[in-house]
Amino acid sequence: MAERALDGLRVVEFTDELGSYCGRLLADLGAEVIKVEPPTGGRERHTPPFYRAAAPGPDTSLAFWVHNTSKKSVVLDLETEAGRVMARTLALTANVLLEDNPVGFMAARGLGFESLHAELPALVYTSITGFGQTGPHAGYAYSDIVGQAMAGVMTLAGEPADPPNMIYGQQANLSASIQAAQATLLAVLHAEAAGEGQMVDVSAQEAQSMNQETAMQQWDLQKTNRKRTGEKGALPLTLPGFGVYRARDGYLMCYVVAPAGAGFPVLVDWMRERGMAGDLDEEPYRELCQNLNFGTLTQLAKDPARAAAMIPDLEHINELLRAFFASLSATEAYEEGQRRLLLHGIVSTPRDLAENSQLRARQWFTQLEFDYLNAVLEFPGAPYRLSETPVQIGRPPRLGEHTDEVLASLAAARRRG
Amino acid sequence: MTRLPLEGLRVADFSWFGAGPIGAQTLATFGAEVVRIESEAKLDSLRIAGPFALNADGTPKSSYNVSGYFNNFNAGKLSVQLNLNLEKGQELAYRLIEKSDIFLTNFTPRVIDKWNLRYEQLAALNPKLIAAYAPMQGLEGPHRDFLGFGAVLTPVTGISHMSGFPNRPPFGVGTNYPDYVINPGHTCTAILAALRYRNRTGKGQRVELPQIESVVNALGTAVADYLANGTVQVRSANRHPLAAPHGAFPCLEDPESIGSVDRWIALACYTDLQWQRLCQVLDRQALASDPAFSTLEARKLNEDALESQMAELTSEWRAEDLMAALQAAGIPAGVVQNAQDMLDRDPHMRSRGYYQYLDHPETGRAAYDGPLAVLSATPGHHRAPAPLLGEHTLDVCQRIIGLEMDEIATLLAEGVLV
Repeated sequence: MAERALDGLRVVEFTDELGSYCGRLLADLGAEVIKVEPPTGGRERHTPPFYRAAAPGPDTSLAFWVHNTSKKSVVLDLETEAGRVMARTLALTANVLLEDNPVGFMAARGLGFESLHAELPALVYTSITGFGQTGPHAGYAYSDIVGQAMAGVMTLAGEPADPPNMIYGQQANLSASIQAAQATLLAVLHAEAAGEGQMVDVSAQEAQSMNQETAMQQWDLQKTNRKRTGEKGALPLTLPGFGVYRARDGYLMCYVVAPAGAGFPVLVDWMRERGMAGDLDEEPYRELCQNLNFGTLTQLAKDPARAAAMIPDLEHINELLRAFFASLSATEAYEEGQRRLLLHGIVSTPRDLAENSQLRARQWFTQLEFDYLNAVLEFPGAPYRLSETPVQIGRPPRLGEHTDEVLASLAAARRRG
Repeated sequence: MTRLPLEGLRVADFSWFGAGPIGAQTLATFGAEVVRIESEAKLDSLRIAGPFALNADGTPKSSYNVSGYFNNFNAGKLSVQLNLNLEKGQELAYRLIEKSDIFLTNFTPRVIDKWNLRYEQLAALNPKLIAAYAPMQGLEGPHRDFLGFGAVLTPVTGISHMSGFPNRPPFGVGTNYPDYVINPGHTCTAILAALRYRNRTGKGQRVELPQIESVVNALGTAVADYLANGTVQVRSANRHPLAAPHGAFPCLEDPESIGSVDRWIALACYTDLQWQRLCQVLDRQALASDPAFSTLEARKLNEDALESQMAELTSEWRAEDLMAALQAAGIPAGVVQNAQDMLDRDPHMRSRGYYQYLDHPETGRAAYDGPLAVLSATPGHHRAPAPLLGEHTLDVCQRIIGLEMDEIATLLAEGVLV
C-alpha cells in the first residue's frame, strides 16, 4: 500500500459546515480525522441535497458527504459532563484539534486551547470562526453569506440593478477551510520540528477577503471602490467576442478580444467554414474584424464619439456571432474553439462537468461504496495528485459510526496507563 | 525569536499571474526564501495590469513595479530575471533548482516542455525536490493545451452556472475567482503535505494541481448531486435551502463610499426564533404573526413576497446600524462591505491588523493582504514588499547560483539575464 503524506497524524475535529472541508483535505491526505459530533449531527448533516434513493437524514446529505470524506465519526454530547470528559480525553490523544465553534464555546466545555495546551504542549489547535478569536466582532453571529458580504467579495458580483450576488458553494466557509488547512500544516511542521504546539486562529472574513482580486489595492492606491458590473463587465461598450453567448444547449464565455490566444479573424475563419460569416468579408466589417482586439479597444475608450459611431457595425458583427454560436452545442463550440486557440470556455453545468472529456480521460471521478445504502456512487475527485503519496478518498462516515471503536480504544489506552 | 516553520527552505517560483504566486507568497510569509523567476521576454501580465500607484497629479505611475495587482501576490520574494527561451537561461534555471527544495509553476505543459522543466528532468538534478505543477487542465489529457486563466476557469468549472440570479445569463462573479484562494490554497496545502513526507522519508515528489480539478472539487455538492441523483442544479440567487430570509437587502445609500454608494445588508435567518427577533428589530410585530411567514416552511413557500417586504423595511436603515441591531439579537448579519470598509472603516479588521503596510521604493507605502491565519507561536509576516523586476538578479546569481561577476556581465550582454 502506498504511503500517505499525513500518515500518523491524528486530528480530532469539532466542526460543522465552516471547518469540515479543512478536515476533509487532511483526511484525504492520510491523517486519521475523528469528527466529534452532537447526537443529532450538525447542520451540515441536515443540509440538502440528499441522496434521492434513500430517506433524507444525517447519513444521506450530499453537502455533508463532499466535505467529510475519509473521516471517522464519534458522537459525544458536549452538553453532558460525561461527554465533555470523553471529548477531552480524546482531544488529548490528538496532534491537531480542529474546531469551528463560536468563540468561547470550547473553553466553556473544558476544551479550550489554554487548558489542552497546558497538558499537551505539542498540540496544534486550529480554530476557524467567522471573524477570528479577537477584535470587536469576534462574538458576531456568522453564516456563509455574511462572511462573503463582510469580506468585500459580494459587492463585486452581480448586475448593478440586482442585489450583490453570493457565490455558490459556501465560499467563505470554503476559503476559511482551505486557509486553515495550510496554516494547520505549517503549525504541524513546526510542532514536529520543535515540539511546540500553538493556536491557529482563522477568520473566514479574512480568508475570503483575499478574493477581492484588485479591489483592496484599488482603494489603497487610488481611493476608489470597485463595483459590480454584471453581464457587461468592465468594458465601456459591448464588443463582439467578449462576454456570454448562448449556444444551442447552454452558454459560452468568450474572451476572444483579450491579449492571449488567436484573434478575432480566426473566429471569422471558423464562421466562414460553417457558412455563417455573412458579409463579414465585406467592408466596413472586414477591417473591423481584423482589428477587434484590446489595443483597438483602448483607443476607442479614449474616443467616445468614434466608439459611438461604430456601435451599429459592431452590433451587426455581434448578431452574426450570436447566430453562429447558437448553431453549435456548448461543448462542441468550446472544444473546437480551443483547438483553434480561441480564448473562451464553456459555462459548464453540473452535467457538463460530469461529462467533461478532460476530467473523464484523466479518471478524475472516484467511486465510493456506500455499503449501508447498497450503492456504489461516483463522486468528485481530489484537488491535487501527489506522485508518491496519493490522495485517497474514503466514504464519509455515518453519524456515530465509529463511536464504539474509538471509545474502546481510549478505554484500552487508559487501562494500559 | 522563534524560527518560522519554513526557515531554511528555498522555493524556485516559476509561476505567474495569481494562482501560482499566491501559494509561493504563503511559503515566503512563513519563512521560506522564495526566488521568483521573471523575464521581460515573458512578462507576468499582472505587472502591467492595474490598479497602479498614482503620481501626485493623480495620473497612474508607469513602470513594471507599480501594480497593486502584482505586488500584493509577491511580497517578500526575490526577483531574478532569466530568459528561459535561451539554452543558457535554462542552464541557470537548473542550477537554481539544484539548490532549491520546492519548485512551483503554473505554466501550461507546452511551455514546461519548451523550457525543459518536466518533473523527470528536475528530479534527475535534485531527487529531494518537491515539484509542484498547477496548469489549468493538468499535465495530460485531451484538453491539456487549452488556453485560459481564472476568467475562463470560472465558467468552465461551474462557478458561473451556479452563481447569481436565475433570470440573468451566467456572466460570472465579477472576478477571476478561483485564482486567489481555491487554487493557490490547494497548491500550497499539497506542497506542505509533501514537505512533511519529505521530512520523514527524505523523498521528494511531483505534486500536480490541475486547476479544473481543484475548483470542481470545491463545488462538489452540485456535481455529486448530478452524479448521485441526476439533478442539474441551477443558480438560485442569494437563497439557501435552510434559511429565509437569506440574502442581501438594500439599506440607505452611503455617500461616503467613493464610487459605490449603494449599500446592502446580508443576513441569514435559519430559525423561527430568529424570524421573530428579526421582526422585532425591524419593528414589524404584525409580520411576525403573519401565518404566511411564521414558519421556515411558509417563508420558503412565500419567499418572493418575503424578500420584497424585507427590502422595503431594510431600506430605511443605515446598514451599519441594522447590522449592529441584528447582531445584538443573535441574527447572522453583515454589511456588504467594499474595499474602503475593509481597509479603513471596519473597526474589526483594523483591530486585528490583518493588512500589512509596507514601504515600497516606487509605490510608496502600500497595503498587502496579511498572513492567511494568526499562528500564535510562529506568526508569519511579509519580510519585504514585492520586488522590483530583476531587483535580485545579481544577488541570486552570485549568492545562490555561484556565478562570478565576469560571468554575470557576459550573461547580461548575451540577453540571458533579462
